[in-house]
This record gives sequence, structure tokens and C-alpha cells, in this order.
Amino acid sequence: MKMFSVAHKTVFVVDHCPYMAESSRQQVECDVLTKSRAQGVIPLAPVSKSLWTCAVECSMEYCRILYDVYPRDKLVNYIVSDSEFHILNSWRREDQTTLELMSALAAVGPPNPREDPECCSILHGLVAAVESLCKITELQHERRTAMMDTAERVSNRGRIICLTNAKSDTHVRMLEDCIQETIMEQNKLAAGSDRLMAIQQCDLVLVHIYPQGEDTLVSDRPKKDISPLLTSEVHSVRAGRHLATKLNILVQQHFDLASTTITNIPMKEEQHANTSANYDVELLHHRDAHLEFFKSGDLHMAGTSTRENGLKETITLKWCTPRTNGIELHYCTGAYRISPTDVNSRPSSCLTNFLLNGRSVLLEQPRKLGSKVISHMLSSHGGEIFLHVLNSNRSTLEDPPSISEGCGGRVTDYRITDFGEFMKENRLTPVSESSHDPSLKLPIERGKAQLERHTRYWPMIISQTTIFNMQAVSSDDEETQERTTRSPFPRDEQYRIMWNELETLVKTHAGATDRHQRVLDCIVACRSKPPEEEERKKRGRKREDREDRTEKNGSKETEDKSWQDSEKSVVRSENIPNITDSPDSPEPLNKKPRLNSDDLQPPDRAKGPVSLLSMWTNRITVANSRKHQEFVGRASSVNNKFELYQHLKEENGMDVHENGKASR
Amino acid sequence: MPTVVLMDVSLSMTRPVCLDGSEEFQRKNLAVHGLNMLFEHMASNYRLEFTALMAFSSLWELLVPFTRDYNALQEALSRLEDYDKTCVESALNGVNNVVQQEWGSACPCQLVLVTDGSLGIGKGSLRHSLQTLKQRGEDKKFPLPFPFPTKLFIMCVANAEELQATDAMDNLEELLRLSGGDGQIFTVDGPLCMKSVQGMFGRLIDFAYSPFHAVLHCGNLSSDVQVFPRPEPVVVDDEVEPMPQTVSTDLEIVGFLEIADISSPPVISRHLVLPIAVNKDVDEVGAGATDELEEEPSASQMAGKSPNFCVLLHGSLKVEGMVALVQLGPEWFGMLYAQADSKKKSNLMMSLFEPGPEPLPWLGKISHLGPISEAAENPYGEDDSKSPFPVTPQAKRSYAQNVTVWIKASGLQTDVQKILRNARKLPDKTQTFYKELNRLRKAALAFGFWELLKGVAELLERECTLLPDSAHPDAAFQLTHAAQQLKLASTATSQLELKHGRLSGTASEVFHVLFEELKGTRHFFVKMR
Repeated sequence: MKMFSVAHKTVFVVDHCPYMAESSRQQVECDVLTKSRAQGVIPLAPVSKSLWTCAVECSMEYCRILYDVYPRDKLVNYIVSDSEFHILNSWRREDQTTLELMSALAAVGPPNPREDPECCSILHGLVAAVESLCKITELQHERRTAMMDTAERVSNRGRIICLTNAKSDTHVRMLEDCIQETIMEQNKLAAGSDRLMAIQQCDLVLVHIYPQGEDTLVSDRPKKDISPLLTSEVHSVRAGRHLATKLNILVQQHFDLASTTITNIPMKEEQHANTSANYDVELLHHRDAHLEFFKSGDLHMAGTSTRENGLKETITLKWCTPRTNGIELHYCTGAYRISPTDVNSRPSSCLTNFLLNGRSVLLEQPRKLGSKVISHMLSSHGGEIFLHVLNSNRSTLEDPPSISEGCGGRVTDYRITDFGEFMKENRLTPVSESSHDPSLKLPIERGKAQLERHTRYWPMIISQTTIFNMQAVSSDDEETQERTTRSPFPRDEQYRIMWNELETLVKTHAGATDRHQRVLDCIVACRSKPPEEEERKKRGRKREDREDRTEKNGSKETEDKSWQDSEKSVVRSENIPNITDSPDSPEPLNKKPRLNSDDLQPPDRAKGPVSLLSMWTNRITVANSRKHQEFVGRASSVNNKFELYQHLKEENGMDVHENGKASR
Repeated sequence: MPTVVLMDVSLSMTRPVCLDGSEEFQRKNLAVHGLNMLFEHMASNYRLEFTALMAFSSLWELLVPFTRDYNALQEALSRLEDYDKTCVESALNGVNNVVQQEWGSACPCQLVLVTDGSLGIGKGSLRHSLQTLKQRGEDKKFPLPFPFPTKLFIMCVANAEELQATDAMDNLEELLRLSGGDGQIFTVDGPLCMKSVQGMFGRLIDFAYSPFHAVLHCGNLSSDVQVFPRPEPVVVDDEVEPMPQTVSTDLEIVGFLEIADISSPPVISRHLVLPIAVNKDVDEVGAGATDELEEEPSASQMAGKSPNFCVLLHGSLKVEGMVALVQLGPEWFGMLYAQADSKKKSNLMMSLFEPGPEPLPWLGKISHLGPISEAAENPYGEDDSKSPFPVTPQAKRSYAQNVTVWIKASGLQTDVQKILRNARKLPDKTQTFYKELNRLRKAALAFGFWELLKGVAELLERECTLLPDSAHPDAAFQLTHAAQQLKLASTATSQLELKHGRLSGTASEVFHVLFEELKGTRHFFVKMR
């Protein structure tokens, strides 16, 4: 359907003249007596709806279905006509709800049978309808503004549905002529206005309503061209359920709808909670949800049935257990909003509530033979129910080469977990149009900008990076740890790589603010070493290399111990090679060095540039010391030694336990 | 998009082509040569395409069902035999059957019809088929347009002048129009020879079988990719925007979403996103051709071993159960996700949404999705327990609100019974009683169904007389009062104004006031006791 087809604008013109107050003569029994109370009670006489009531409730049903399936930009303008016209709403989007129309109708009330019939006419409403069709809608305005020099592509078409009681075929012809004339007049007016648009096509659907048991004075007539601008069709319908059926068919025709009946819905019985029966629910939706059936000529197989009551045919789909979960990404070729035909029947409301509570149902085609084919899924999103069309054919993409066979497929140390975190940080969230500051970039552009910032330096594999792995050391990713410790480079080469990387990372952001620049300056400053230190390093390197192997265990241990001080790195201790003894074995001999490792730096390190390890250790120590009061013993220790429980000596040498008892 | 090659094997295809000095060829040989060239191209550059080979004369035959085995297709070409006359219509019926059986009616297909432009004679000829188009019953309809979207490529082993000398060109153009107009008629430039036929098939390859290369970006991370099958241009509304929209060769990730939030969205097509090494293609023509041959395996190994963003993205999307939202054009988006087939082979896939600013109502406008870091607090919650999706529309749908529909008598009866059931349980059910009564009253006023209001008022009065002696006095009061108010509402607001001088406004406002008053009275009753 084109954006600006006749379906964009529908004007309802409903007759409010005195004769519409007449009874439809279809009686409704509303006092259904229950068996237990039937004794001696005279039931209420059946009530009957007026022609007006029939017209109003059927037009409301038309709008209900329309708004359910097209909540936006298929617009209705409701006009009531008696001695003058009453426009009950506008084309504005906020006016497009049945609730809005219902309260406006309540204010209008039923036709006044005592009003002078001579003053009353449907013509007032029809003229107003043509005028209304010339009024520009929000969507038309938006598109015209956006398209600038191609604005003429925005068309102005519309439909007038007139519910009335006409006097004769001649009367109908008179109405058509009058509409035609009004269109010509209004188009002339529209040519000179910005807020009006000339009508390019108008479809008149005239529904003549007459009471049951009477003969119609107006004959049915299929659609015909009155002029290049106007087509007209006439439906002569008895009030009551015939009218309801007619408008149901019309709404389906006008908005390309089709019907699906969900069958075999298991429902608990109201009376007997333990038993369940199967129910059917009919839904309307855009007919493209059946496209596959129509195309393949498979309609019959899909369980179509033409119904006797004159309604259009429906396609049956079977409720299918098991249900699907939301984590699965189905291959879905279309999703169409639905509207139940019988919205407040118990089976309908059971189904819709089930779906609104967030559950989805797969639907299968009923077939006598062969495997079951799941072709649709019902699912709700944000309080709206959609019929999803699932692909049930063979995929042309089957058996593709696995991603591991292609470029980059052999690499095994991608930073999958880190990129997962990255993705989570770069998730999106809706920003309401009211809270968006139009002077700023659009939210999505800000999302792109954030991605740009976050990827200025982002190594894709673990072996390409040191700094991001250090972050990961505290996690329990053993593989990462192995990789970092297994580095082929000697220790100070590793530091050099790390510093280089850190500098690269910070450099990419240094331009952002002065403070970013200061971080970069700091890193650069940390790296620059005093000249004599460089000399010494050079001399020492040979020795270091030689000793590296033997020292490795020892130095690594020191490193480990200090890491252990931070609360996070407990797991790391499992890697320390010398804690392999059983818990019962005597105290390990190297307890002393552990105590010393924090404050006794190896002499050559103390002079050199600050190592990252000691920067980090100091940071953690300072942070920890803020969290607790320093142990008195350590604070007043001599050579890191302090005698514990000194007070016991002062208490007459008495046993602590006995002392405790005595005081009782 | 699967391809069907439909090869004319009628006798006219065996007509010799006069080439001075060299050996004699039949038109069939030239066609086979051209098709071999196409198959070789596909085997190396478009090998995921499924292709079927059919031969036709007055009958048709499926020689090779849909396959990616291009050797099998070439082999079948070498074994072609010669038959009688050309009958395009029956062959098209054959194509229709073969395609629908394999792919259903939604999958777009390409049809390569190879013929010499002599389109049969008499009954069964294309001319006859087209002349009788309008005189057919439902069961004998012309097979075009096919139910599935079709691209029709007509490869004529003949030059344009030759075709225009008869009505062949007109008939072929009509055929293309009938198929939906998507496709092209190719003819040989200049005299028929190997080279000119090669040229014609070369144009087909460029037009329809050249791989779609793009660059996938995520900020500064990127990867060269091939998107397979080629994304097709899309026209959403031929009136408002008749220019087809095409997928950009820069695919830009704009952010990430959870699979549960994107929630099986409708898509117009699905594509594999295959990382490619671009440099290899650039320096394919070089001096040391032999060296390159030796290096080729190592080059592809190198490509396998150098990290690629697609592989990283695929791995993380798979582990986290997320999708990447990707921008394809000015107002066109799609999603990237990891997809595993039944054999556990996993791949990076891209699905395209319908072009437009709001392809999925439950995400809202895509341009209004922003980074979570700008939100006051993380909308996903600190432990990922929440989600800002789905976006809920302002107005509720009819099935999500308690609408009143009395088109069927049962709807009205149920609503009346509900009121009566509650009426019998007064004063315990006072609140529900008034809620239901108010709903009925509101609908009756909107529908102008005043007779119903009178009827229900009578029913309530009857209930009042049927109250047992043990009933609470408040029950009788509520029933009488409600009945009275319904009667007032069913006449006219003016009467209400007479009785309650201070009341004015619409009927619903009046009722609201009455309802408030009523509640007050009930309290008064309770207090009195």
C-alpha cells in the first residue's frame, strides 16, 4: 500500500437526522435468567438498537480494527450530520483513538426524533467531509517539508464512508453529484493555500441502512467512476448484524487485511478448572502475512474455508506447543499487527492476555500428511501483538564455509570476553524525542562517536597487548595468565612494550582535554630515565639475562605476594609454584621474605625508574591502609618485630581462663 | 539468490556460424562456451550460489538440480544433445515447478535463458503464447510472472540486428516485461564468434554475478568483507521515493542490542558476511606470475592467521547472545549476528530491515537510540536485569484495554450479567458493581443506546424487590440509587440540571459528580450504623 493511497484518509459521515432514531427492529435479549433464579420472575422485555446505535457501533468497530492494525498514519475523521455538521475529531495523530471518538459521540447523543426533518440532511456532513479531505495531515506536511523540490510526489487521496438512510437511487445520485461539485470547488480553493491540498482521488462508499423487515429503497451498486476524481459504490444493508458484517468486510478490503483463525488453543474451563478444551480465535492482520499461501496457490492446504455468513475467508493455523523462547532469533520475513475480530470474547481475551504477558506461540499449518510446518509466530512487543511470518523453506545460505575457515579464522587468542564487555558498554537505549536536545547530534550519531572513541586503540588478540591483559590478570581467565607469563621477551623488554602500549593508548585520547594531556605527560615523564641509570642498566643487562632464569621463581614470587595484597588477586596465588605442600606440612621456610617484600625493595630497583608493579603495590597499600586502622603492633614495631600479648605479663601471671572465671 | 540456467537445445541452436579460416562452430557451441565461462567465474568468485541447469525444446528436462558443484554443471553442458523445436512457455512452467519445489514462493531467483532468438513456430512458439495471453482459463495461465521475485536475463546467441529483423526482440521484450521487468536482454556485439559471446557473458557477470565487497566498520576497527548474496536495491514506495535505495559499501556498526530485545525482527533479506583479504586481488597481475602461484597457499594461510575483526565480532556476539545494529544507508539499518547451522558451523550473518527511520516499532526511531553511557543510570541495570526495550506506544491497542463491543448479543448479555452478579453481592461488591455499571453506561451513552440504560435500571429495581430479608440495608439503597441515576442518564442531561441546579456539563461529568456523591452517601450510611 502506498503511503498516500486512499487509505491514508478516511472520513466517516454518519447520519444524525431524526429518522435514524428509528428502531433497527433487531431485538437483543439482555436479561438472561440463570436457572436457579428463574422461578416467578418476569424477564425484562428485549431491547432494540436504533439505526443510529447500529451505525455508531459498527463504525467504531471499523475504527477499532483499523487503529489496532495501523496505529499510525491511517487516519479517520468522524463527522456527524443533522441540521448542521459536527466534526468530532481532527486528522491529528493524538485524536486517533476510539476512546476519543466515543466520548465525542456521547456528547452528541442519539438523534432527536422531534427535530424538524426538513432542516436535516446528510449533505451538510458530506460537504464537510470533502473540505476535510483537503486539509493536510501531519504526515503529508512532514513529507512535503522533507522532500522540498519533489514535494509534488505527496498525493492527496481519501475515502468517504457515508452511513445513512437514503430515500432512493435518485437521492443517492444527487449526493454523488453534490460531492463531485464540492470537490471541484474545494480544489480551486486548495490551489491557493499552503495548508490545503487538492483532492486527486476520492472514493465514496455509501452504506444505506434500513430497519429489519422492511424492503430497501436503494439498490446495491459496485464501484464506478463518477469523474476522474471520484468513484462511488453503494451498499444497501439491513441494520444489526448484517451491517456489522458489511463493515467488517469493508475494513478488510480498504486496508488489505486478511483473517487467520488460530485453532486448538488449549484453555482451562471456567467451571471445571481441571479440564481444558480447545478453542478457536479469529485475528485480522495485513494480508501479506499470507503472501506465501497466496503465491504458492497453497490456500487450500493451509486450511482455508469460505464462510457462509458472507465474511471473507480465513486461514486456519494450529496452536503449537512447545513454546519458543525470546533468546532465539527466528528468521522472520514479516511481522504484522493483529486485531481480534471478537475482541472481548473469552477465548480472544485469554489468547491476547497470554501473549501480552510476554509469551510467544508458534503456529503450524494443519496438514493431513507429511511433517509439520511451522509458518508463523504470535508475539507481543511493548503491548502490541504481532503475527510474525517465519521462513519455512530451504535456505539458500545453507552449508556456508565456517568462519574459522576464512580470514582470521586460524587465530585462537581473540579477546572475545573483552569485546563482549565492549559491546555491553556500547549498547543502545531509546532517547525520547522530548528529551533530545535538537542542537546536539542525534543520539545514534553520538553512539557512533562513542564507538570511535572506544576503538582508537583496541588490540584484537591477547598476544598483541600487555596492558589489557594486566587488567585481566585479576580475573580467573587462566589462559590469559599463561600467555602473559609465557611471554618470549625478557623482563625489561616486556616493560618497554607495556610502556609503549600505554603511551599509544593515552596518546590517542590526549587531544580530548587538558587533563588527558596531563595523563600523557605523566606517562612520558615516568618513562624518561636518569642517564646514569641507563648506563647501569646496560652494564647489568648481561648479568640479568644470565640470572634471569634462576631468579625467575624468586622474583615472580615477590611479585605474586604483593599482588596478593590486593583483595582481588586471590586466585593468582594458585599459580605460585612453591605452595604445593599439604596443609599439614610445617610452616614454609620462606615466611620471612614475604613479610619483608613490601617495604624492602631490591636495591637496584629502588634507584631505577618506578616500576609499574611498585606503583601498583603502593597504590593498593595506600588504598587499603585508608580502610582500616593500622595495627598498633606494626606501627610501633622495632625492626618489624613487636611482642604480642604484653599485657598478660602485667596481670600477676594469672591464667587468662581462670581470671575470666574469677571475675564472675 | 539461486540461479536457473535454461538452455535452448532446439535444432536451430545447431545452425553453424561461419567463421572465415577457422573450424566451424554451432551456435550451441558458442552458448556452451559462454556458460562455461559463467560457471568458472561463479566457481571462483560466487561459489555459494546454488545453480540448476535445465535444457528445453518442446519438452524440458532438469539436467542438474540446484548445486554448488560447478564441475557437475560444466560436465552436463558437455553432454547436451539436440532436440526438436523451441517452446518457451512449457520450459517456463518447468522453471516454476523446479524453483517452487526447492525454495518455495518467497525466495528471489535469477533465470538465465540462453537461446538463439529463434523462438519456435506455430503452436507452442513464444509468439503464439503471447498472442493468446488473454484467452486463457485459470488452469492454463501463462507462467509469468512467477510467484517468486524474478530476475530474468535473456542471453541471445545472436546480434541485435538479427533479432530486430523478425519480431523476436519484441517478443523477448514482452517476456521480460511479463516477468516483472527486473532483468535484461543481452545480445552479441558484432559478428558471432567466441570472443563476442565471451563479451556478452562478461557483461552478465558484471551485472549480476560480481561479488559485493564492502568494509565493515565499528569505530576504528574494520574488516573487508564480501556480502553474499549481493544485497538488492529496494524501492519502498514508488510514489514518494521512486529511486531504489542501495546498500552502502561502508557498513557502519552503530551499537549493540540484546537478542531478546531485538526479538525476531522481520527482515527483507539475509546475507553472509565473509571476511576477505583484499590485497591479494590488487596485485594479482604481476611480473612473477610463477612465484605467486607458489605463494598462494601461504598467502591464504597468512590471511587465516592475521586477526580479523569479523571473527572477533562473531565470537563475542555468539558468546553474549547479542546483535550489532548496522547502518546500511542514510535511513536504512540491519543487524549482524552469529548464526550456527545444523552442522554447528557458525557464521557472521547480516539481515536487512525494511528501509526507513523506524523499521521495528519496539525499538522506536533508530536515530533516537543513543549510548547508555549518556543515560542518568544504566537502563540495563547494574546486573543486566533490566532492559529499556520494548518501546511502548502511547495508545494501547483495543485488546489491551477493556473495550466494550456489543455487536454480538452475547457481548451485551455478558456485560449485563456481570452487573447483576455484582448487584446480588452488594454491599461487598460495591466497587466492582459501580465499575461495571459505569463501563456499560459510558458505552451506552456513546452508542446513543438509551433504551439499554432504561432496561438495566428496571433490572436493578427488580433485583431490589428480590432482595432477601437478610440483605444488608445498604444493598437496597445502592440498587435504588443506581437505577435512578441510569434513568436520569437515559433521558437527557437537561433534566439532571433541573434536579441538581449546580450540575452542568457533559453527561459523563455529571455522572462523575453523582458517583462521588454516591460514595459519600455510602460512607454516611456506614457511619450512621
